[in-house]
Amino acid sequence: MIVEISHFLAIISTALFFLAGLFALTIKNTFYTTNLISKTFSHAFLFFSASFFIYIYLAITDDFSVQYIANHSNSALPIFYKISSIWSAHEGSMFLWIFFLALWGFIFNIFIKNTEILKPKTIGIISLVIVGFLLFLLITSNPFVTILPIAPVNGADINPVLQDPALAIHPPTLYLGYVGFVIPFACSMAFLINNDASVKWESLVRKWSVMAWIFLTIGITLGSWWAYYELGWGGYWFWDPVENVALMPWLAATAFLHSLSVSIKSSHLRTWTILLSISVFSLSLFGAFIVRSGIIDSVHSFANDPQRGLYLLAFISAIILISLSLFISRFSLTRNHRSIKTLSKESFISINNIFFVTLIFSIMLGVTYPLIYEYFYDQKISVGAPFYNAIFIPIVILASIFLFFSIESKWSRSLDLKIFINPIFISLFLSFVATLIVFINLEKINIFVLLSIFTGLLIIFRYLIEIWSSFVYKKYLNPFSAIAHFALGLLLVSISLNSLLSSERALNIKINEYEEYKDLNIYFRDLNLVKGPNYDSVKANFVVEDQNGKSFNLYPEKRRYSRRGQITTETAIYITPFRDIYLTIGDQLEDGSWIVNIQINFLIRWIWFSAFLMAFAGVVLISSKRKV
Amino acid sequence: MNPIRKKRLLSIFFVFLFSVSGVSLILYSLNSNLDYFFTPSELKEVDIPTKKRIKIGGMVLEGSVDRNASDISFTITDYENSIVVLFEGIVPDLFKEGSGVVALGYLNDEIFYAEEVLAKHDENYMPPNLDIEK
Repeated sequence: MIVEISHFLAIISTALFFLAGLFALTIKNTFYTTNLISKTFSHAFLFFSASFFIYIYLAITDDFSVQYIANHSNSALPIFYKISSIWSAHEGSMFLWIFFLALWGFIFNIFIKNTEILKPKTIGIISLVIVGFLLFLLITSNPFVTILPIAPVNGADINPVLQDPALAIHPPTLYLGYVGFVIPFACSMAFLINNDASVKWESLVRKWSVMAWIFLTIGITLGSWWAYYELGWGGYWFWDPVENVALMPWLAATAFLHSLSVSIKSSHLRTWTILLSISVFSLSLFGAFIVRSGIIDSVHSFANDPQRGLYLLAFISAIILISLSLFISRFSLTRNHRSIKTLSKESFISINNIFFVTLIFSIMLGVTYPLIYEYFYDQKISVGAPFYNAIFIPIVILASIFLFFSIESKWSRSLDLKIFINPIFISLFLSFVATLIVFINLEKINIFVLLSIFTGLLIIFRYLIEIWSSFVYKKYLNPFSAIAHFALGLLLVSISLNSLLSSERALNIKINEYEEYKDLNIYFRDLNLVKGPNYDSVKANFVVEDQNGKSFNLYPEKRRYSRRGQITTETAIYITPFRDIYLTIGDQLEDGSWIVNIQINFLIRWIWFSAFLMAFAGVVLISSKRKV
Repeated sequence: MNPIRKKRLLSIFFVFLFSVSGVSLILYSLNSNLDYFFTPSELKEVDIPTKKRIKIGGMVLEGSVDRNASDISFTITDYENSIVVLFEGIVPDLFKEGSGVVALGYLNDEIFYAEEVLAKHDENYMPPNLDIEK
């Protein structure tokens, strides 16, 4: 039985990872022990990846004697989805999660020289984290369980909403981001254990953290994009608990990267940086706990099991407790007796840290408050978009204004505002004019939305001036920071305009009838029954004509998947640079007409574009040769 | 008091002041933006102002779904009490008579005007607080 080999390899690797961790944390580090730890880790990884790839092979070859594969894959699926079916449910996705965790450790192990003083401890801590998760996998969520003696002839199917390329790559990307933060976490812990303030752990992890941050950013964006076209609700963000637990590590990671650059440049904010490295990693784990314990109702949550939740909760608590006590016992390591100059870059970034932490705290409260409330008052509640909007909009506006003024600030020196009057004045003027144009052309007015358009434009114009002067006057410009913050400005403007301009309506329309909505003329031309490979579908054909006389066809569908009997809505979207025409069909009424939902979503592509631009900024940083 | 200690005390005081006011602002906005969840029976026992957004969960009563143009009305029931819900738009794919549903909206004169109708993406889903053996 091949699956037993895979299972056995996973068990051996657990033991080896444990050994690596044990060596690293108990033996005094010399050149030889470092070598030993590094080798042990590499071998553990070798065994574990062999186990993982054998499992993928089993999925590709339809070995339905493995219960997990039988329940989540099907022989009719294309190979791509056979592989992605592995992470379509709890056990397999946990397997993938651990594989990535070990992969990050392995790459770190290869690229970092054995002479690096923090290396053995870092590898040791990563090993112990892996052991914690491997035990979780093997004890509570074993993907290797077999159906014996008689294996089913064919598997059940993968959930149809998951049969989608974006969703097949969304979880792996997100996981790569989540677990990537094990490196800064392990490194900061190694720094504390090592107990030497002169060791610069921050420079060691910079590029690794940016890399993990890129994956996290792309992962979240892919999820948002997928939800938009697949679920048929038409939004890009729902403040669903599971989205929130992904946003928290992202915010913490972003704050961490800011704080990290200060610690590298001037050894300030080292306390912040260590605390944030702990936060990012524990928030990633907290996300795993929320999604997998089923403690919170969400469209995303996996089938749940209290034992899993309990194990994860204990594991996370142990990690947080140990790391925090270590931090407290070595607190003097990170003290810096020079104080930060007012209006220096450091001061702006420390304010930025406070904003980010406030946002994280608010989300945390929003996610956990229903649980607390129900426990004390025995009343079910939920926290929705209004709360998050009320917190996020003012804080993001404030933070953007600080960002705007911080652009010219210098390390360790106060900002002299007088010199920078011109660029500030020009961008203020341009943003004001642009916002005024928006204001005049709109019927719906919301002061907060206008404000965030204004601040978004401030950032955009300010950076355009910077980019211009870097070309003309050869003025130095940090490309990473410029692109990332420019993307933030773009994101702010797109989100605001999207919320102001977008609209939707449910229409009631018969075949061969016309209906009007805004500037669009909608003609219901046809309706067909279509048979797909594993579903039956009702496919409608609409001809939509806009005010310029340009017309296009849209084919929204409603599918019924034969294997699971599940019904899904397939949206039809017509994409233009500035707006999407988004059509879904609902049910048929007794008089033969159909309910059709039409949405006009403005600038929605720009929202994802901004997010990808941010991730691209990270790529720029990683590929730059400049040290730090 | 020595000046260093005084300065330190002052900064601790300010940090404390800002944190407390920040946290209370967040808690305030949290409390004014909560959506309470009720089953039809629980709804009978409480008095809800019409401006308060709430959630109602239960099962869609068999035979209660009535569509009129793009409006839909149906009854949410826990098989003891029930409430009529009005909604404009497309109900989710998993919405069907006899299965679980959650509606978010406003109660006015015994009629629930829903802004959003949710059905879980899970065929075995049962709304919270309901364990009905059917």
